[in-house]
Amino acid sequence: MIEIVNLHAEVQGQKILNGLNLKINKGEVHSIMGPNGSGKSTLAAILAGKEDYDITDGDIIYKGESILDLAPDERAQQGIFLAFQYPIEIPGVSNAYFLREALNSINKARGNPVLKPVEFGKLAKQKIKMLKMDETLLKRSLNEGFSGGEKKRNEILQMAILEPLLSILDETDSGLDIDALQIVANGVNSLRNEETAFLVITHYQRLLDYIVPDFVHVLVKGKIVKSGDKSLALELESKGYSWLED
Amino acid sequence: MDNLQNKLIKNFKEKGLAEYPLEWLGNYRLDAINAAESLGVPDLSNEDWRFTSLKEFIKKDFSFFDGKAETYNKPKLPEHIKSIDGYFVYMHNGQLVSDSDYPFSLTRLNDSFEDLKVKEILLNEVSSKNKDFFYELSCAFIDDGFFLKLEGSNRLDKPIVIINSFDSDVDSKFVNTRNIFYFEESSSAEIIEYSVSESVNEFFLNKTSIVYVDQNARVEHLLVEDGNKNSFIFSNLKIVQGRDSHFTTNSILSGGQLIRNNVHPILNGEGCFSNILGLYLSSEDQLMDNYMFVEHLKPHCESTQLYKGLLNDESRGVFHGRILVHKEAQKTNAYQTNRNLLLSDKAQVDTKPQLEIYADDVKCSHGATIGQIDKEALHYLQARGINKDKAMLMLIKAFTDEVCEPMESEVLLEAFHNIVNDWFVKSELLEPENQE
Ligand SMILES: Nc1ncnc2c1ncn2[C@@H]1O[C@H](COP(=O)(O)OP(=O)(O)O)[C@@H](O)[C@H]1O
Ligand SMILES: [Mg+2]
Repeated sequence: MIEIVNLHAEVQGQKILNGLNLKINKGEVHSIMGPNGSGKSTLAAILAGKEDYDITDGDIIYKGESILDLAPDERAQQGIFLAFQYPIEIPGVSNAYFLREALNSINKARGNPVLKPVEFGKLAKQKIKMLKMDETLLKRSLNEGFSGGEKKRNEILQMAILEPLLSILDETDSGLDIDALQIVANGVNSLRNEETAFLVITHYQRLLDYIVPDFVHVLVKGKIVKSGDKSLALELESKGYSWLED
Repeated sequence: MDNLQNKLIKNFKEKGLAEYPLEWLGNYRLDAINAAESLGVPDLSNEDWRFTSLKEFIKKDFSFFDGKAETYNKPKLPEHIKSIDGYFVYMHNGQLVSDSDYPFSLTRLNDSFEDLKVKEILLNEVSSKNKDFFYELSCAFIDDGFFLKLEGSNRLDKPIVIINSFDSDVDSKFVNTRNIFYFEESSSAEIIEYSVSESVNEFFLNKTSIVYVDQNARVEHLLVEDGNKNSFIFSNLKIVQGRDSHFTTNSILSGGQLIRNNVHPILNGEGCFSNILGLYLSSEDQLMDNYMFVEHLKPHCESTQLYKGLLNDESRGVFHGRILVHKEAQKTNAYQTNRNLLLSDKAQVDTKPQLEIYADDVKCSHGATIGQIDKEALHYLQARGINKDKAMLMLIKAFTDEVCEPMESEVLLEAFHNIVNDWFVKSELLEPENQE
């Protein structure tokens, strides 16, 4: 589904990604772990098309074509979704209005019919129920005054409604208690099928008990230094990252 | 001395405005022209005009216009204004041209000077008179306009929609107009004042409205200044509120080369509430200057100001927020917020709070921000599939919509949204067919 080839990226002249290679096939779940500052969020942001980064070398091939020239909205329309590590608060834009605009933009781009407000309401309520969220969140401004956990769940709600093909989760588990973690994991697992793929960035092995990955990679200083199966996560949990650094 | 001032004083004398049969009125005008003369056209050294230069303006050759329109054609109005279910009052060049029947009394001001209420309102300034050249000018040339009265306990079922239009056949007119609104005890009304101009000639409009909101009355007011590059608009809105009254005003400045928007609510009875809202939408090389003067005279009152500016191109905005709490006005709550969103690197805004508090038990706050579209927010929306233009518009709308949140009237709210949308279309932020 996606192939990241020898990716080099900088921000303000500072090298962050240094020749990163990663291939994710349809139906697979990959996990990326690594110390703070190793470039995990940078990788996620670059996949989503954030503008602040200079790609100095390499390529990102998604569904057979380079997406480096695509704007973030075009990538989203093609099925790429990033659950942000730090979701932005947007006062004055209601969650419901935002979600409907997002879904309809994606539907339009895919040639699917646009949902009427009533139809959208039904869909949103059903997903909210699945994520055990409070319906009033729909009426509130996007993420404004949401607790940390509510913000993370709201990311997963968006994912559940937009039904992306490739979902990137950037530390969605950080700050969640075990109940919330299970709910989030259920939301993710409900989208798992042979057509979708996931890139799960996390610090903690415990998330991977619920979202079981096919592959685990360790990112250090902007490069994948080790890959393995889910047992690698357990190994990292006990040994830390220092044995893989330098 | 500058040309404009001399010219207008000459006009005043030629028209014999001080020699009116009613002695008090003649004196009222004479005092005002003398005050205007001694004040002079303000320059940047005047604290109240620090950010707005009138240097170019006073070079213009405006002269007083009191001619009647030979033929009056109703102005072209946007469909959403035309279709409002309201009591339409038409004004042209500052003169009342409607003569329909209304559930309120409405007379031309120049036919109303014998009315003792009019005399009382004009002679009793209530508050410390604001020493302003243009206000004095409006008093000196007082003649056209209307006197509108809604009797006690009357609740209007539909809004009053005042349409102001201006001629285009005479060049360089100075139009002076004064409207007096008097809402008696426990009455309630909604007002939309819509000024539009397609004038191909420059004109200078000096417009003063005095709104009396008596004890326990409720009034909600939407003012729209939608001029064009030939409009030089000086607007004074003075509100005198009685005990337990409730007044909301929202000014949308959406067009005009130069607009000075003075809003002066006077909280003159215990327990009254004043909501002062505004949105200035500027583009090209327009200048929109808002001068707020909120005056608390009595205890237990609350005023909230929320003014927002959306500035495009090389336009400039000014917000001057003065709050004066008199000694007697204990337990006053007075809040002020000014926020500005710059859509271009060349747009500019100056904001200045000015608090003068002489009572000791007062809650007062003010805050101002100037910013640009939040890039992180824009990215977040785009990352969910929303294209950049749409995402920008969502953020801009979120910004402008806040200004109408305190409004209660459905009709005024709808008008607000439509007028702001018109501006988005005019500014090419929104495709006409996508109008929501
Ligand atoms: N927009 C940015 N501006 C400057 N430095 C950045 C920016 N984004 C990331 N960095 C730097 O890049 C490095 C990697 O950051 P990040 O990708 O957030 O790491 P991780 O998510 O693995 O903790 C850090 O040193 C961080 O300070
Ligand atoms: Mg990170």
